[in-house]
Amino acid sequence: MPVETDAVAATPAAAQQPLSQRPLLVATHVSRHFDGVRAVEDVSIDVLPGRITGLIGPNGAGKSTFLAVLAGTLPASSGTITFDGHDVTSLPAFRRARRGLVRTFQLPSEFAQLTVLENLLAAAPHNRGDSLVGALLGKRYWRADEDRLVAEARALLDRFRMTAKESDYASSLSGGQKRLVEIMRALMLQPRLLLLDEPMSGVHPSIIGEIADYCEALRDDGLTILIVEHELHMIERMCDPVIVMAQGSVIGQGTMAALRQQREIVDAYLVG
Amino acid sequence: MTYYLTTVLVYAAVDILACLAISLQFGVSGIVNFSFIIFQAAGAYTAGVLSLPKDTANGGFQTYILGLNLSFPLPWIGATLVGALLAPPIGLVVLRRLRSDYQAIAMLVLSVIASLVVTNTPAFLDGAAGLALVPQPLSDKFNAYSDGYQWAYTIGSLLLAVIVFFIVQRLINSPYGRSLRAMRENEVAANALGKNAVAMKMTVFVVGGAIAGLSGAILVGFITTWAPSTWLYPETLILFAAVIVGGRGNNYGAVLGALLVPVGFEEATRYLPPFGPPGLIPALEWVCIGGLILGFLWFRPRGVLPERRRVFAARPNPVEVGEQHAGGN
Repeated sequence: MPVETDAVAATPAAAQQPLSQRPLLVATHVSRHFDGVRAVEDVSIDVLPGRITGLIGPNGAGKSTFLAVLAGTLPASSGTITFDGHDVTSLPAFRRARRGLVRTFQLPSEFAQLTVLENLLAAAPHNRGDSLVGALLGKRYWRADEDRLVAEARALLDRFRMTAKESDYASSLSGGQKRLVEIMRALMLQPRLLLLDEPMSGVHPSIIGEIADYCEALRDDGLTILIVEHELHMIERMCDPVIVMAQGSVIGQGTMAALRQQREIVDAYLVG
Repeated sequence: MTYYLTTVLVYAAVDILACLAISLQFGVSGIVNFSFIIFQAAGAYTAGVLSLPKDTANGGFQTYILGLNLSFPLPWIGATLVGALLAPPIGLVVLRRLRSDYQAIAMLVLSVIASLVVTNTPAFLDGAAGLALVPQPLSDKFNAYSDGYQWAYTIGSLLLAVIVFFIVQRLINSPYGRSLRAMRENEVAANALGKNAVAMKMTVFVVGGAIAGLSGAILVGFITTWAPSTWLYPETLILFAAVIVGGRGNNYGAVLGALLVPVGFEEATRYLPPFGPPGLIPALEWVCIGGLILGFLWFRPRGVLPERRRVFAARPNPVEVGEQHAGGN
């Protein structure tokens, strides 16, 4: 469904919007500096629910840094981040994840010496055995949770056609399979907003399309996604809207078709 | 012969406890605690000053704090608690802000500082001379020099090692253990998946500290002396060597490593015919320990008994596995 170029709403207007269109995440004047280097400078965006929002830009534009700031992996130097109506700016990454704001990483970040199934289980919340006391109380105390989560993880493996790899070490997987494990792992937290950092980079072309299929299916299930990616044809296919960053700032936002009409954006990034 | 056997076995129990703690911290959780020996020393000193009488009681030939003359098992409980309580202040300084490689350096330095502080403050724990005549547990009720006592002490020590083995085993085979291993593999990713890595590291630090404290109490209760020369930082390296050789993250590997390196290695060199100038054999021991670490890290980095792969029970209703993702990038 085509949307207008102003699909990314201004933050103050968010409260006036109907619930379905109220932004799930609002970043307001967010900056991140490293010893004087302005990696992200005064970025304000809204992420609308139930959509895949694309974040594109040339290398060094600050996209991954911005994603890390949104997820809490890096603290913001200034600005505020509101998720689901709550200010999460000062929350550490693990608390944001528990609220449903979950990210993947630009470089493969699988738990290498854990099996694929364990990678998924390690991310699963609400396991009574996932604490010192719970662990010491023994298997009887946490077995029911474990069995339930194993079933959930196996359902995800089925969905992503990775069942045969269940007991393989994650380190033995191909680049594309590792990306899928990362996405499945994030899904174990039942996120409300999934931040994907270049999930198609270094991946075989045949899997790129499948990752896009999975993203669209997840969106259709109601998941909101913010994706950083260089595969522009996939961004064009999946994302609505698309935000363009360059030199740490947002230089445009809208549909890909609309962005292609903007000369400064084409010059900055969309050459070819 | 009884004395020799019981000594070897008590040392084995102490080293097994220490290796289990290091395996939990380093092997399972990825914390390179080069200050480990401080925790064992803290336990030994605590057990010592809790079981010794006031330092004026035996002619004042040694000076130390407390001297509470407590009966067994209070000194051992105190030692375990002090080992645990020492972890938060060190952990808060080292584990919260530093990256893992800097953590290792900071802890190594801490180990050296602690040794120098104790050595140069004689009024605290009798300085370089250290504590002596530490009463053995229940020595007021039994003859501590009898074979029966020696064997009872040995069996008690080994029993404690077995109990701790099962506790650590329960811990690492649980979902919490899985989270610890995930943190070891990629702390940033674990954090981004809702794991409070700092809290997990602190917890493991406290548990490991408690085990180390207990191991120190067992040792000082047996040898009845404790001085800075017994807990220099290289002692930590021997324990790390044991865990690397035995197999990181595998409790059976930790036990094997404890028996092979600190116990077996030291005992084997005892039977070498003397050769070269005095001190050559101990120096060569260190060369061999270093070579052992390098050799295993190079050729068998996961040790003799590697961490086992966790395979889950088959599905109750197996699904037919259709077309799966290919292995290409």
